[in-house]
Amino acid sequence: MQALRWAPTPDGLAMEPARCCLCGLDDSDPVAVGEDFEYRTSPEVFRAVRCRRCDLVYLNPRPAPTELSRIYPADYHAYDFSPESFGLVHAVRRRLEARRMLAWCAGLPDDARILDVGCGDGFHLEVLKEFGRPGWRLEGIDPDPRAVEAGARRGLTVHRGTVQTLDLPRSTYDLALHIMTLEHVDDPIGVLEGIHDVLRPGGRCVIVTDNVESPDFRLFGGRHWGGYHFPRHLHLFSKKTLGAAAARVGFEVESLRTIVSPVNWVYSIRNLLVDLQGPEWLVERFSLRSPGALAAFTVLDAVNARVGRGAVLNAVLRRPPLHVSAKAN
Amino acid sequence: MRSHKTPPVAIVGGGIAGLTAARALRERAIPVRIFEAGTELAGLARSFKDEQGFSFDFGAHFVTNRLAAALDMGAVCRTVPRYGEVVRKGGRYSAYPLGLLANPRHDLSAASARLRALFDRTPPRDAAEAFRREYGEAFADEIALPLVEAWAGAPADRLAPSVLQKLPGSILRTLLMRAAGRLTHRAVAIGYCREQPESPHVWHVYPEGGMGALCARLAEGLEETVSLQSRVEKIYVVDGRAVGLRVNGKDFDAAAVISTAPIHVLPKLVEGTDALAPFAAFKFRAMTFCNLHLHGRGLLPDVVVWLPERGFRTFRVTEATQSMPWLAPEGKTTLTIDVGCHAGDAWWQLSEEAVIDRCLDDVRPLVPDVRERLIGGRVLRTPIAYPVFLREYENARRRLSEDGTGVAGLLSVGRNGEFDHLLMEDVYYRTLDRARRLADELRRAPAPRNAPSPTPARRRGKAAVASRAVS
Repeated sequence: MQALRWAPTPDGLAMEPARCCLCGLDDSDPVAVGEDFEYRTSPEVFRAVRCRRCDLVYLNPRPAPTELSRIYPADYHAYDFSPESFGLVHAVRRRLEARRMLAWCAGLPDDARILDVGCGDGFHLEVLKEFGRPGWRLEGIDPDPRAVEAGARRGLTVHRGTVQTLDLPRSTYDLALHIMTLEHVDDPIGVLEGIHDVLRPGGRCVIVTDNVESPDFRLFGGRHWGGYHFPRHLHLFSKKTLGAAAARVGFEVESLRTIVSPVNWVYSIRNLLVDLQGPEWLVERFSLRSPGALAAFTVLDAVNARVGRGAVLNAVLRRPPLHVSAKAN
Repeated sequence: MRSHKTPPVAIVGGGIAGLTAARALRERAIPVRIFEAGTELAGLARSFKDEQGFSFDFGAHFVTNRLAAALDMGAVCRTVPRYGEVVRKGGRYSAYPLGLLANPRHDLSAASARLRALFDRTPPRDAAEAFRREYGEAFADEIALPLVEAWAGAPADRLAPSVLQKLPGSILRTLLMRAAGRLTHRAVAIGYCREQPESPHVWHVYPEGGMGALCARLAEGLEETVSLQSRVEKIYVVDGRAVGLRVNGKDFDAAAVISTAPIHVLPKLVEGTDALAPFAAFKFRAMTFCNLHLHGRGLLPDVVVWLPERGFRTFRVTEATQSMPWLAPEGKTTLTIDVGCHAGDAWWQLSEEAVIDRCLDDVRPLVPDVRERLIGGRVLRTPIAYPVFLREYENARRRLSEDGTGVAGLLSVGRNGEFDHLLMEDVYYRTLDRARRLADELRRAPAPRNAPSPTPARRRGKAAVASRAVS
């Protein structure tokens, strides 16, 4: 008779334990169990937990940093959101994002320096290049070489690395963008500190990230919620936890609100269908390539955003001007 | 052995609860040392596969996908596709618990019991009264109480009302979860977790490599803290606080002690206080689990058949292969027949062949040709299968469950240590919670008051340094 023993599957991911980035402890309750429904990069099962002390939602355990190239496969959408692949959706999104971004850029000088932290394929920088003022100096950073290549193809300046590891000039940038990125990083506080340090006093940081206080989370948060994006979203915020993270770093919160996004709605339904092994044609109706579903949920989420429950959080943070910092010290 | 270093937290027993506690403390940079009496960790939770391809665990445990994910074992777990229970009465089967609602006699009696309960607010005196008031006399006397008595080995009027632990959630919720399970072909865990909420997204899974695999996973990285073949002989309590223990004749300091030993054994180990004396009276039910290996599959109408009728020696027969087909070779199955007994009684002392023979007789009304199907069998015995909630020690049991052992720095955790019918995920989360609270407490006051040791001030200083140094 032979005793059975545990052996990790050869195709399993290397995982590591995580802690709440706000209190530094792991004192949490599980909120969801899910899989990589979108890319199926591994057979692992993932668990999202909520910190009992801070309310932050985070992935625990989470993939080890050595697994990045595996959990972000070659066809990962952030590296290829091109007009060729996404057609009408790309065109509409570009227009909508341009309006939103120009509002964030209001009041910037003609020679402003703008940094996109976690720029992916350079979509946002390109929008600014096209719709913004000609004197703006645009730069992006991203740790993935594919992002640097994509940026180069678009004629953008993209540094490979992270805001903590790159030797960027301190107290220099007028605006930092951190769009749908904070949830991906393993050390949000470190990233926010890095952004804080490269901004000039009085400079702003715009954050867009998934909102765990939205109706889509309420409905799908036990497993299929698009915002989990298992296992790539390591931290998920609410107004309260994002505000706490910003305060920790020394940012002033200028505004903290929710904005419209259909993406988590569409992907929540897609994940549910994938999990139930729904027919391929139906699954394909729910993706970034589905203008119908995106339009419908944009309308729905616009109603939610009206009452402060939009799918996505938008924070505008400001590094305090010098005289305020001096007082604080 | 009295060192000046901060002593570790001593953990008695290297099973699921002990290993979980060790992990939680290590995570908080508290040094631990696990003393395991056996030659291997998790001896009782190990799983085996025999030459013919039949797998078995010591006790069929359920793990949820949520627990598997917490332990990073999701990728090596198989989904349990279905789980269901039926009750057999008068030769007829009804689904548990909802099928039983279809009996108008039960419903009527339950309704009148509820109505009477509106006017009688006195708390029930014993389990018999609790069940009759909750479910009506018909259902209680014909079904629930016979099962409870067979399970506990004591008449229901000697059992405490707390035996009745209601299914969490409403009937509607249970129905929705059932429907979700059917739709997704997953055995959604209903009534299997109390520490964390139930959900249609939480179902039963079984780890590749059996339950022993779960312990092996928990033990990863703890190897250096484990001492095998280390029998704990004494736990020292000084001034109401656990401060050390004797293992294989040697004394060790401890910042705290976490015991997973059965609670009725703990008072015999503890020296220096009588606080635990009432726990010595706590009784566990002994069980024999007879596994019959048979030709065929789907011999029972569902995974578990409850047998409340007195004619049976067993109260429960389980065909686990209906839930987990991989536990037996194709075209074959295993029936597990549970018989409650007292350690040392006539049934306990029967030979394996005799137990198998009598269990075959017992199962014949359910599977008439069971003898012709027989391939072989195996009998497992355990003297501490289930805690028995007798009225005579109900107050002490409550105290244990609410306030713990009553000795500072001495935790009693795990299924046997907590004297509760805890399921795997509950053991995990409860132990995690308790160990974390202990860690917080130790950090606030890192120096245990230990009479024969160096001065408290000196110990405190060292302790703070050491707890920072260990990560």
